[in-house]
Amino acid sequence: MNALYPWQKKDWQALLRERERLPHALLLTGPAGIGKLRFAERLANLLLCETPGSAEPCGECEGCRWFAAGNHPDYRLLTPAEAEEDEDGKTKRKQPVIPVDAVRELEDFVNLTSHRRGVRVTVVAPAETMNVAAANAFLKTLEEPPAGAVFILVAHHWRRLLPTIRSRCRQFPLSLPDHHAAESWLAAEGVVNPQLHLAHMGGAPLAALEDASAPWLAQRNELLQHLANPAALDVIGIAQTLEKTRLDVALVVDWLQKWGHDIVSLGLSGNIRYYPDWRDDLQRLSVRAVPLLEWQKTLLSARKAAHHPLNPRLVYESLLFAYLDALRTRAVKPQ
Amino acid sequence: MAYQVLARKWRPRNFAQLVGQEHVIKALANAFANERLHHAYLLTGTRGVGKTTIARIMAKALNCETGVTAEPCGVCSACTQIDAGRFVDLLEIDAASNTGIDNIREVLDNAQYSPTAGRFKVYIIDEVHMLSKSAFNAMLKTLEEPPGHVKFILATTDPQKVPVTVLSRCLQFSLRNMTPQQVIFHLGRVLDTEQITYEAGALNLLGHAAHGSMRDALSLLDQAIAYGAGKVEEAGVRAMLGAVDQSYLFELLDALVAQNGGQLIAAANAIAGRGLSYEAALQELAHLLHQIAMVQMVPGALADDLPIRDDILRIAQAISPEDAQLYYQIAIHGRNDLALAPDEYAGFTMTLMRMLAFAPVPAGQLPLAQSGTAATAAPASRAPVAQQSPAAVTENSAETPSDAPASTPGLIPVRAAGSNSQNSETYPAEASAEKGPESNTGEGMPWQDESAAAAPPPARPTEFDGDWRGLLAQLRLGAAGMLAQHAELLRHEGDCYYLRVAEEHQAVATRDFQEKLREAISDYFGREQQLKVEIQQQTGQTPAQLAQRERAARQDQAIEAIQQDPFVQTVVRDFGGTVIADSIRPL
Repeated sequence: MNALYPWQKKDWQALLRERERLPHALLLTGPAGIGKLRFAERLANLLLCETPGSAEPCGECEGCRWFAAGNHPDYRLLTPAEAEEDEDGKTKRKQPVIPVDAVRELEDFVNLTSHRRGVRVTVVAPAETMNVAAANAFLKTLEEPPAGAVFILVAHHWRRLLPTIRSRCRQFPLSLPDHHAAESWLAAEGVVNPQLHLAHMGGAPLAALEDASAPWLAQRNELLQHLANPAALDVIGIAQTLEKTRLDVALVVDWLQKWGHDIVSLGLSGNIRYYPDWRDDLQRLSVRAVPLLEWQKTLLSARKAAHHPLNPRLVYESLLFAYLDALRTRAVKPQ
Repeated sequence: MAYQVLARKWRPRNFAQLVGQEHVIKALANAFANERLHHAYLLTGTRGVGKTTIARIMAKALNCETGVTAEPCGVCSACTQIDAGRFVDLLEIDAASNTGIDNIREVLDNAQYSPTAGRFKVYIIDEVHMLSKSAFNAMLKTLEEPPGHVKFILATTDPQKVPVTVLSRCLQFSLRNMTPQQVIFHLGRVLDTEQITYEAGALNLLGHAAHGSMRDALSLLDQAIAYGAGKVEEAGVRAMLGAVDQSYLFELLDALVAQNGGQLIAAANAIAGRGLSYEAALQELAHLLHQIAMVQMVPGALADDLPIRDDILRIAQAISPEDAQLYYQIAIHGRNDLALAPDEYAGFTMTLMRMLAFAPVPAGQLPLAQSGTAATAAPASRAPVAQQSPAAVTENSAETPSDAPASTPGLIPVRAAGSNSQNSETYPAEASAEKGPESNTGEGMPWQDESAAAAPPPARPTEFDGDWRGLLAQLRLGAAGMLAQHAELLRHEGDCYYLRVAEEHQAVATRDFQEKLREAISDYFGREQQLKVEIQQQTGQTPAQLAQRERAARQDQAIEAIQQDPFVQTVVRDFGGTVIADSIRPL
């Protein structure tokens, strides 16, 4: 059920080479969508496996079977709460955070004797979604847990973690798979155009797999279509459509950021990273690379505020207007 | 899981083992030796400098069976129990988990009972900055005058969040960051005792990467030992930290000097290919640029034996000092932006491209988007360029021509400081297309305008001359100015003023404001004055209304001036532009 991805074998061996030196708090870092959580779960499984001396979870002992069934009593997984549906059937727009209560409940789990062999494993993924109170409440537990308690933190952006949390953990960076390995894996998963989807996601295979089957593919294509043709960009209309799709603002800002990055990158250095399938349009727009750098700044601040309860439609409108402004500015520059 | 990380294994157990923090230890040791004990201590400092450690050693020093001492014996039952974390009279409270007032009350309720085994009941409240406001307040009384057997030790990384009332009740010690030398020395000692071979250069790298925190250093050391399979070698540590070899940075700088984007990205890819950290790369780049800028300003500032000296000198000659400053700024900002970029690679290359784009372009070709730098140029030289924009935009996007003038940046002229009514005559037409209400902050708040401009007159008249507006301009009224602005002077007889206020502004005619206004006028003339205010349906001649009318007149004038301006007319005629009347503002 939780076999490693092919590109993780090396990291796995590197981590277990010094198994007796495994710390009580491990921080797995790396870009989103490369299978960090799977890695963490497998490590948890190994720690809970009751067959002595194994380098892999045996899959046969009681510990492994419980783990596989998802109800091992000495295992906790802390993840942000999913968006809940309230009584009107509306999904609440909820910021994905790990609340402080979840961390406080952890205290009992860690400080009481374990059910099986003394090992209690907690996986926190992604660790940066702990809010300030939760992260602070975690500090004391994380620093000096009773014997046998192990924490595995998973972070996409370790820089967003509190420095006090970082300093208590040993970091273990997981590497991005190289293109060939990722491509062949995606092809084996039945993805039609692996190279393209990998590019869309900056090389992270799991994210690419999601990208290939995401429900919002059509919307992104539509948005890019509009962006590629700024002369006929109907800002109000597009913003309205985007709002109706109820997509996460951060996701849309991410698309725009990648679009902006590609234009600038193509214009200044001739490289395309994210959208190679839009090369012609990017090429046409890339003469305006310089003013679009300013737009990138706007996007960065939009990204910062993406989880704030702003009116998404107004956010989209302002971003698209800024895009048009950036393109126009270039028009008055003497050639 | 018998393994204990180095940071925990090497937690000091007495004052002698502590690294650094001499200023704190000395003060504490003397206090313990002379038994001059405070009842509440606050320890502050960044992560991993020894707050919790010192707190625990203090608990031992207070409760050691050999008496209150600066050197706890470490063998008596109190000391061993504290080390093992099971001493009944040491209560270590995680304030971040017990933030509420109820948690604190429970703790304080128990404070009155005398200790079970030890001499003192010691409360270590860690992460105290997370306590709620009411929890802090609940502590105050007990914290100020606790029973004789209670000692509080508070520890936090963030003393700003602790209320001053708590701060003033505590003896505060702020712990310093470790210097790299201290860290290196300590790591060496740890490795010697652990019997792990190491290279001195590796410790040097770790010492700097720890950024002043001993726990960071020991966590990194753990990582390095695992990475190097039981050895700590310089190459391994460098790879682990993602420390960037300086030759890559010079490749980047060379590409920047050559203005070669392809080469720049190739250099960036080389950094990516080696699995180096982008953040470290940007930091090193900023460091390098700092050295370059220093050489440019103070040629002798560079140490002669620096291995990269020649490279630095080469780059320093190739780029101008302004560019070095600019690159430095961009590198610093780029570090903050990394976390917000789609991924780190994109954030890094974007920063590099920003350097490329804003670099040595001849002054005339500066892209207009850089309004920050453009504002310093003379407005006259820029005006013709900017004025073409309506035409250029209409061909660019036919659908939305109307917002074109509003979207041209760079048109905001350099505005002289001072109130805007005074320089309205100096350049009426040129600045008229200026955009944005934010530049007209004075408008819409007439009372601010005039009261701000008011300067003390050379000689104060003793009699009111009938000029109500002129009088108000001389007064400092504050909020009462609203009443004055909306009041019309009907007549004045001697020292009595009859004012009329419209019904819609009745809210400002409060007794308070009337009193203030009366006092201000009395002060002005130097004797008691009377004020009579009546509320009526309408007024016609209040200062606010007059100002409004004048503004409208000025607006008309400005529109007129724009319409008559020969240059604007040329633009309209030859390029098919339109003047948007709403966007015209008088200065």
